[in-house]
Amino acid sequence: MVDEALTSMPKVGRSPREKRDKPGPLDYMRRWPLQVIVGATLVFLYLPLITLMVFSFNDSRRNVVWQGFTTDWYVKAFNNESLLQAFINSLTIAFFCTIFSVILGALAAVMLWRFRFPGKTAIEGSMALPIVVPEICLGVAMLVFFARVMPWPMGLPWPLNLGAITIAHISFAFPFVATVVRARLSSFNRELEEAAKDLGASEWRTFWDVLVPHMQPGLIAGALLAFTLSLDDFVITFFTAGPDTITFPVKVYSMLRFSVTPEVNAASTVLIVVTVILTAVGLQMQNAKPKEKA
Amino acid sequence: MEQSWKQAKAAFAAIAVPPVAWLVFFFLVPLAVIWAYSFGENTGPITIDFTGTFANYARAVEPLYLQIFLKSLIVAGITTVLCLIIGFPVALAIAFASPKLKAWLLLLIMLPFWTNLLIRTFALIAVLREQGYVNFALEWLWNNASGFMTLVGLQPLGEYEPLTLLYNNTAVIIGLVYVHLPFMVLPLYSALDRMDRSLMEASLDLGAGHMRTILMVVVPLAAPGIASGILITFIPALGAYLTPDLLGGTDSQMIANVIERQFKRANDWPFGAALSFLLMYLTFIAIAAQAFIQRKSERRG
Amino acid sequence: MAKGKYLTGASRRSLLKQFGAAAIGISFAGGLSACGGSGGGGSTVNFYNWDTYIGPTTLDDFNAATGTSVNMSLFATNDELFARLRAGNPGFDVIVPSNEFVTRMAQAQMIQELDHSLIPNMSNLLPEFQDAAFDPGRRYSMPYTWLVLGIGYRKSAMPAGFVPNSWRYLFDSPQFTQRIAVLSESADLIRLCAKYQGISLNGIPDANLTSIEQMLIRQKQHIKAFHEDDGQDLLASGEIDIVLEYNGDMAQLMSAEGGDQFDFVVPTEGTLINSDCLCIPTGAPNVAGAHAFINYLLDAEAGKKITEEIQYPTPNAAVAALMGADYQNNPVIFPPADIMARSEYGAFEGDDRARLYEEIFTRISAA
Repeated sequence: MVDEALTSMPKVGRSPREKRDKPGPLDYMRRWPLQVIVGATLVFLYLPLITLMVFSFNDSRRNVVWQGFTTDWYVKAFNNESLLQAFINSLTIAFFCTIFSVILGALAAVMLWRFRFPGKTAIEGSMALPIVVPEICLGVAMLVFFARVMPWPMGLPWPLNLGAITIAHISFAFPFVATVVRARLSSFNRELEEAAKDLGASEWRTFWDVLVPHMQPGLIAGALLAFTLSLDDFVITFFTAGPDTITFPVKVYSMLRFSVTPEVNAASTVLIVVTVILTAVGLQMQNAKPKEKA
Repeated sequence: MEQSWKQAKAAFAAIAVPPVAWLVFFFLVPLAVIWAYSFGENTGPITIDFTGTFANYARAVEPLYLQIFLKSLIVAGITTVLCLIIGFPVALAIAFASPKLKAWLLLLIMLPFWTNLLIRTFALIAVLREQGYVNFALEWLWNNASGFMTLVGLQPLGEYEPLTLLYNNTAVIIGLVYVHLPFMVLPLYSALDRMDRSLMEASLDLGAGHMRTILMVVVPLAAPGIASGILITFIPALGAYLTPDLLGGTDSQMIANVIERQFKRANDWPFGAALSFLLMYLTFIAIAAQAFIQRKSERRG
Repeated sequence: MAKGKYLTGASRRSLLKQFGAAAIGISFAGGLSACGGSGGGGSTVNFYNWDTYIGPTTLDDFNAATGTSVNMSLFATNDELFARLRAGNPGFDVIVPSNEFVTRMAQAQMIQELDHSLIPNMSNLLPEFQDAAFDPGRRYSMPYTWLVLGIGYRKSAMPAGFVPNSWRYLFDSPQFTQRIAVLSESADLIRLCAKYQGISLNGIPDANLTSIEQMLIRQKQHIKAFHEDDGQDLLASGEIDIVLEYNGDMAQLMSAEGGDQFDFVVPTEGTLINSDCLCIPTGAPNVAGAHAFINYLLDAEAGKKITEEIQYPTPNAAVAALMGADYQNNPVIFPPADIMARSEYGAFEGDDRARLYEEIFTRISAA
């Protein structure tokens, strides 16, 4: 021991102990200014929501003063058939919208990133339109379209009767996905693609095994975005929905006309909890799988 | 860098046809119908005649409406800047966090935005109103400070005047930032995540401070992501309807509220269509700017 | 190094599969229950109504009595109703427009004539509602409720013994500055200002329109918010002390807990009367069922349950007879006769007029 202390060289660089204490140069999350900023942002984001969830247990019809604890509102919400149906409709629409939007958005992003073709600028501009068009304009346009140009048949069985709303949602969601994916693609190194081709991979394999993994964070971010946009949408859904295809936002807006009863809070809390569980499960699966070579 | 479509026709067809076909049929066609309406006239409660008139546009550029456009641009601009200021450090922190923390943080940021917009806005009201949480907290602090000052022998502070944080433009901006923050964080994160870290490390090694590295290395590299984040935030903020409607005061109407009234109460679809299209023409400038930045950085990259 | 950050193909796919499976699971479970609900035997009536504007068991009672189920959807304003039906009826059988919109939709041929022989309960109506200026002969509509606009206020915020019984306190006075909220409905606002100026609220001359606009622009600094229909919430939550609201909404607020700190008064200058009516839109899929449902809503017992719940004035004599004295003598629900004599229905004066009012409101908001 004493010999080692005298004869061993002092370690170059930081010892393991020091490394653990001092954050690395890029370890932003471990530096206090950023921790404060992220923490404050999270408080800002969550305070209204926590209030909302707390008030769902409020023993008072009006949502303004706390008057005691009760779970009555949850019972009421679960027994409210139209609210339940609206909720399920919203989830279904969001699900189908996400799937189609991710596919269409990814294809569009690849198309714009990879190819040169006549009319490209026009297409690029058109892809940006859904982001630009005021929702109300799009809502009216969809209303007229599904009433006059391509009438959506009435009285279709569920879930086909949600088709008009779903189509409308996909139409405005997939350009958002395309934008996000395209930002991601812009940092892709084309040589990887060319290398794959040189090694004999077909177009499809190159796309699926080389391009898609790179796009993946963009795809996931885009999918989350599309899901959010669809679930949250009010204006466009309002114009394309019919008497039997009420969605959650539209239902909530009508209930809000008088006041937010805690029933709506209860339903929203359930929605939040369901979403948290779904996503947590998904993330767990992600982290659990060992990372194989791509 | 880009390939000509002729070089891989089959691939091009497979990739390009679905999105383009969808775009044309389910988006451009409905819009075209409304565009036609903007040149039409109301001939009765529910019929519209396409007469090719410019009267609607002439009305839409009157000072009254231009003033409202300008106000909406300013509000949306402030919102975007605030989102950028808040969103960039957050995206940076997430992008450089450990993978496990990263996933959790992303989840935490995204989660509020799966809640319905109307619910969130009403929840925001509970926080901002005169008997809401911000005022409760400030009042508590005020009273404590007042008590402290009495102890020390100074004049106590007067009666607490609650802040009016609701039903005015401040509330609208807070609400818009609250709603649009993830639309800024996600693309920023996406771009920062893919960025080559070694360039940053090199810059730090060469002695540049963090702020300088961020400004001179990270921002230009992540420019397309930043530009798309700004676009995705600014444009919807410009056309926001529910937030100014629910949180705003008598002074806070934005262009989307006016358009909504044309399609509903005023039952004046041609004029509403004209206003909407004017809004779109104006915001094309924003897109052109973003495309410009995109091309510039692509050339550099 | 970069590859470590990727999800592998397999785990990414399974992530999406997780989402998918869960979503499909929920959807199908919901779908099956939905199919069970609406598909089951007997016909259906699609009812498009205002929110909280029906009794707690009315729809089930109707189903029990006739075997026809009622599928109720909600809207928040007449404009929504109009915009929804404008491009064609998406399948509603019974709708509830306000009086002005009955005229408007009748002119636009969006509602169809009623067959009175299928609505024998029409005889239950009070004499003054058997006919209507806005719908001569009641060809298109049956009255469901009627309502007036007035001033709701917090008693503790008023000087002792003071009752704000004039429109002045909302439209032309700084007394309650930044503690006032008014309706955002342009036509209602302008018409009430006309009442304040002492003229009829129909056919307002241009000179008055200008002075009304100026007055509201001056008053805007004292008004805290324009509300759509949640004025009673703003009052209850302490944001404002005085509000322009419907008598039914205020009655509900005053009968809830803590309601005795509030009161309601109809200004002496008179006010705007509205009546929400039951109509059948053109192209309704179940016209027979629609008539049966309207008839049921005019029934005394059914009407009583509805009125107990919603607390709005009823045009139905049989129902009024069944309701207690509390209801009949409530001055909030039934304003004094002399003020009612000075109040009027708003007539529909054409689309151009509506647009003019909208533009005035836009100018006021932008000023």
